[in-house]
Amino acid sequence: MIELEGLTKRFGPHAAVDGLTLRVEAGEIFGFLGPNGAGKTTTVKMITGLLKPTAGTVRVAGFDAATQTLQAKRAIGLVPDEPFVYPKLTGAEYLRFVGELYGADLGEMRRRIPELLEMFELTPWGGELVESYSHGMRQKLVLAGILLHDPKVLVLDEPMVGLDPKSGRLVKDIFLRLAARGTTIFMCTHVLEIAEKLCGRIGIMIAGRMVACGTLAELQAQSRREGSDLEGIFLSLTGGAEYASLLRYL
Amino acid sequence: MLFLLLRRRLRCAYNAVRVQTRWERGRNLAFGAAGLGLLGALHLGFHRLLAYLAGVELIGPLLMWKLTAMMLLMTLAMVAISSLLTSLTTLYYSYDLKFLMKAPVAARTVFLDKSLESAFFASWMIGLILVPYVLAVMRVDRLGPAFFAAFLATLPPFLLLAASAGIGFTLVLLYLFPSSRTRDAVWVLSSLSLTVVYGLVRFAQPERLIRPDALKVVAQYLSFLQAPTAPYLPSWWMTRALRSAAGGHWAAWGKDAALLWGAAAAVYAGLVALAGATYFAGYSGAQEGALRRRAHAFRLLPERFAAGRGPGAALLWKERLTFFRDVKHWSQIVLIVGLVFVYLFSIRRLPLESPDLRSLISFLNVGAAGFVIAALGLRFTFPSISLEGRSWWVLKAAPLGVREVMRQKFVFSAAPTLAVALTLGLATNAILGADAFTARVSLVALLTLALGVCAMGIGLGALFPRFTVENIHQIESSLGGFVYMAACLFYIGATIAILSWPMQMHFQERFGKAAWDWRVAGCSGAGWLVLNAVAFVVPWTLGRRALERHEE
Repeated sequence: MIELEGLTKRFGPHAAVDGLTLRVEAGEIFGFLGPNGAGKTTTVKMITGLLKPTAGTVRVAGFDAATQTLQAKRAIGLVPDEPFVYPKLTGAEYLRFVGELYGADLGEMRRRIPELLEMFELTPWGGELVESYSHGMRQKLVLAGILLHDPKVLVLDEPMVGLDPKSGRLVKDIFLRLAARGTTIFMCTHVLEIAEKLCGRIGIMIAGRMVACGTLAELQAQSRREGSDLEGIFLSLTGGAEYASLLRYL
Repeated sequence: MLFLLLRRRLRCAYNAVRVQTRWERGRNLAFGAAGLGLLGALHLGFHRLLAYLAGVELIGPLLMWKLTAMMLLMTLAMVAISSLLTSLTTLYYSYDLKFLMKAPVAARTVFLDKSLESAFFASWMIGLILVPYVLAVMRVDRLGPAFFAAFLATLPPFLLLAASAGIGFTLVLLYLFPSSRTRDAVWVLSSLSLTVVYGLVRFAQPERLIRPDALKVVAQYLSFLQAPTAPYLPSWWMTRALRSAAGGHWAAWGKDAALLWGAAAAVYAGLVALAGATYFAGYSGAQEGALRRRAHAFRLLPERFAAGRGPGAALLWKERLTFFRDVKHWSQIVLIVGLVFVYLFSIRRLPLESPDLRSLISFLNVGAAGFVIAALGLRFTFPSISLEGRSWWVLKAAPLGVREVMRQKFVFSAAPTLAVALTLGLATNAILGADAFTARVSLVALLTLALGVCAMGIGLGALFPRFTVENIHQIESSLGGFVYMAACLFYIGATIAILSWPMQMHFQERFGKAAWDWRVAGCSGAGWLVLNAVAFVVPWTLGRRALERHEE
């Protein structure tokens, strides 16, 4: 479970995230949408302990991220927006390294690492240095890394970027299965179709503030666009209607 | 197009200064002032040396200009080596290369832009050290600002020419050896040859040439002083230009200045022409990554797993793997081994007859060996936190504290550093035949210094992390690197000063002059403990706190 209370992050006078209050339940897939610069990645970084909030609290799986930092971090699996991984480790070595950092059982790792590499079709590359991996392969490796230590909370920043259609489908199925098992999933994405299909609830962030939050039906009601799909709702809330005038220039 | 690329550099630099917070600006000003202080101290040292040389009857001016020629030759060599180390990353692995190579910009223009960047990073710090030297020459020779202007006008082509060696070598290397494995092998061979050349130069005992007693006749010594130092190298052209400017022979100065600028223009024009045919091929090869099929991961895993015992062991394991897989890092071990041998050879060649003097030098060796260890720390220990690079998120998001990360980095650095310190300490004491007391004090002091320097390297590396730089030399030559070296020099100097009390009493006792004053010895021991506690704890704590707060 993720609980955010009055979460705020300021960079000088600019509030990247402004008083965000949110609760994502166990077993829920929560989609976090917003235009570029809305504060999504900043929120992800505060939840995962990469940034310190200016104000407010973060609780992950019942642990206060400020005072019970290590317990909170142990409960999280993060896929960042850019999957930078040690270039001089092989894929299998990276997985083993991450597993040990998170205290995964050694015997379990010995069994799971080959399975995960196989699942993400990385087996032929498991013994190659990560520096030779494509963006999509690194993304799959990071995903395999978080599955290795079985976290209670997944925080995903654009997890589908760079994945081929088959891997994309696999990842979606994995998320659904994990959620069914009680894993909390917090996912930032720009792919509205994925959010619409996967997420039970969706939050839309603009300029550091959550302007709408709820199920698709609730969002339709909040934006007064009954019958609209998520794209219509998103564009109406984020000023997409201006496109028509912009397109005239092309 | 090149001007557009250079303008974006200026704009980026301007923006970086503009967005500084008041605290950052204050901090930079403070460290800038400390840097100026260090340059001032260097100037005083140079002035003292030059004033002494200039004061030698008849041959004073000859000695001064001989030293200048050697100083410039040394600068040339250091910039050339430094550019060899920076060029590979800057020319082929910069973050913005993907953007530039896609843009409608000629590969030659991109090459020139990156070459200038590489030359700048390779030379700015070494070039800066010439400034206090030249100012000292001005004071000793009573020269006006025109001389300084003449120096500044010839410095850029001199440094560019020096850096062109590394740039040209890298350009050819990447074209001829696009396979990463061959490139690695060539890199190791380069390090090895550099070590051999360094060793050969040292073992030729060049110090004999500046000691008149080593030459048979005075005429031979005078002809050595008057002879050009490496006349075909730009360092000699620069020496000649400066000498002409000092004598007010502006036409001669103009000729050498034109030679330097002309040669720099010709060399870079040649490199750009060569780059037209070779740069993209090398760049393309470099992007292919290191595909080296290792023994299959699963077969390797079980035995490696046996070694794993939690996050600390995993961190150490990762440090070892990443270090020994990066040829740019581990190949420098060859250089270190060469450096240690040359150091010990130099100690052996010291003309010391008296046993007392030998023991004294054995104690003072703590300072010299400490400096070598600090320099190694600048290369290996200080950058180790920053070298986590863009993968830092893996550790930051993981359930382990910054303290644990720093501790493992310390352990990884401390073991080889202690080995070097032990080798230098034991071998020097044996070569010099130091007495038991001096040998023990100097060895304990040196080993403690090695640990202290490591702790300072990790602590200050954490205080000044640079996760987004693309070149290890940018980390070394950063503000943090400067603070680290300044702190190390102070620490080494203070250690020598504090321990000199008991050493003084020891030597007095050897001469039968006075007995030990145990209060003074106690004070010295306590001072040494306090100094080491401060050296270990303060940078470490400041670094840990800063890294915990650090936000990318």
